[in-house]
Amino acid sequence: MSDASTHHADVAIIGAGPAGMAAASRLAEAGQVPVVFDLAPSPGGQIYRQLTAPQLGEDVMGRDYLRGRRLLERFERARIDYRPGSRVWWAKREGQGTTLGVLADRRSESWQVRRLIIASGAMERGWPFPGWQLPGVMQAGAGQILLKQGALIPDVPPVLAGTGPLLYLLAWQYLRAGCPPRLILDAAPRSRYATMLRRPLSTWHGRHYLLKGLGMLTTLRRAGVKVVHGIEGLRAEGNPHLQAVHYRRAGRWQSVDASMLLTHFGVVPEPQLSRGLGLPFDWHPSQQAFVPHREEASLAAAPGIWLTGDGAGIGGALNAEREGHLAALSILAAKGEPVENERTPLVQARRRELSARALLEALFRVPDGWLAAQPETTLVCRCEAVSLGELDAAMAQGAAGPGQLKAFTRCGMGPCQGRLCGESVTRLLAGHLGTTMNAAGYYQVRPPLHSITLGELADSAAPPAP
Amino acid sequence: MFKRLDNAAPAAMVTIWLEGQPHSVPATLSAAAAVLWLVGATGYRDHAAGGHRAPLCMMGVCHDCLITIDGQPNRQGCLVPVAEGMRLERQRRPA
Ligand code: FES
Repeated sequence: MSDASTHHADVAIIGAGPAGMAAASRLAEAGQVPVVFDLAPSPGGQIYRQLTAPQLGEDVMGRDYLRGRRLLERFERARIDYRPGSRVWWAKREGQGTTLGVLADRRSESWQVRRLIIASGAMERGWPFPGWQLPGVMQAGAGQILLKQGALIPDVPPVLAGTGPLLYLLAWQYLRAGCPPRLILDAAPRSRYATMLRRPLSTWHGRHYLLKGLGMLTTLRRAGVKVVHGIEGLRAEGNPHLQAVHYRRAGRWQSVDASMLLTHFGVVPEPQLSRGLGLPFDWHPSQQAFVPHREEASLAAAPGIWLTGDGAGIGGALNAEREGHLAALSILAAKGEPVENERTPLVQARRRELSARALLEALFRVPDGWLAAQPETTLVCRCEAVSLGELDAAMAQGAAGPGQLKAFTRCGMGPCQGRLCGESVTRLLAGHLGTTMNAAGYYQVRPPLHSITLGELADSAAPPAP
Repeated sequence: MFKRLDNAAPAAMVTIWLEGQPHSVPATLSAAAAVLWLVGATGYRDHAAGGHRAPLCMMGVCHDCLITIDGQPNRQGCLVPVAEGMRLERQRRPA
């Protein structure tokens, strides 16, 4: 579909986090003018959010946040058609490129782009436990966003629970901000640390991350923050607001009063755009996530589509920056520019960095049997309030795929469009059918890729016809 | 529930209206963040299936931050920056 009201771009980049900013800057430095669509009002992605005008300094935020400044300045200097506050709600591969429906200022525009770099990042894993829908329970990433966006910290010491580096980073930042967490409930058993001895090479490559983590843990311990390792279960309780957190350790439930619980069970690629384009995904057993296919050397997933950054597999901010850079080089190479000398060190640095990932993934694995062990009243789909018990019943009645479970129970039909329950539904089906995550499958993702109201469509200049 | 750190960089302030009451809030906040800062998570939103909800992710994923902005219901509050004169109404069932 193309008409007078359709905009055209040679290169479009979706996302202005480290991958998107690096890709855009490099292309601009070669004289291209990529268009960059990003959800946020300012560039940086989640990791460098609000870094254009930081609310807090290195003393609270830590060094890794401020490190993004260099990239941000490069992005801001470059000649880029940067469009903040844009949601790509519709995408389709068509002929020699991709057609996008982009919503900005409550109007939708259609774009025909020749080359598309997807850099739309990760999201926190949806991880059901009883009471996770209560006000007072948030994801740790949300806590960090409030810190970056407005220097907002909890006014009473929160409980932090889950596993992964972000949990300790947030705890450390809250401590530095004068609000140490009341308790950290770590789902990883302490014995996990022996993993390092079994993976000496990964440990060496990952030593910077590990030392940083160890440093944070030591600081927290010295400040008297209690860490409980090996949590087997978690329950949030209260009405109408969180009042108590219950946790199970060594088979025994214990309780702590709390009005705020911040959880973190890892990050996974945000799938909507890539899935909506029909790109294939595979379950990655080490990342414990569905990860899209792409060519290792070029990062291309299909002709004219490149996947970069955490949305293509979790590699962290520095890796994302390198991948954005590499995707830009792959486009420049196709245009006949000599890029090999620039490429080689990037590829090597990336390989070194990624070899540490396996260790981090092993250290912070989420417990695979968690969901099946939850009480049947636990909500799996928050949007449509579908419980584990309802899904079990639907499977017992013969629902044998994510689409059927959706039709039987409305699971995944709400406004988040299955982002938070997708993995859980696949896990349940795989368990019930005794099959693999890949064989159990995932929801069919169709536009709109973002919730969009009819009013927004009615206002549109040229609504793309899905 | 949340407080703003004293040593935060000075931010420009805007006036928003939450259920008809004016409040001065840092312009860097999203609508959802402003509500959490002003009145906390309790009562943020009533869910159609019963019970209460409040923002979970603050990054556009969960849709538990839905709120009425300038008369338009079901906007994702975590994705919309506050603006001078913005009117917010939490989506509550009549008591
Ligand atoms: S808080 Fe999750 S979408 Fe807004």
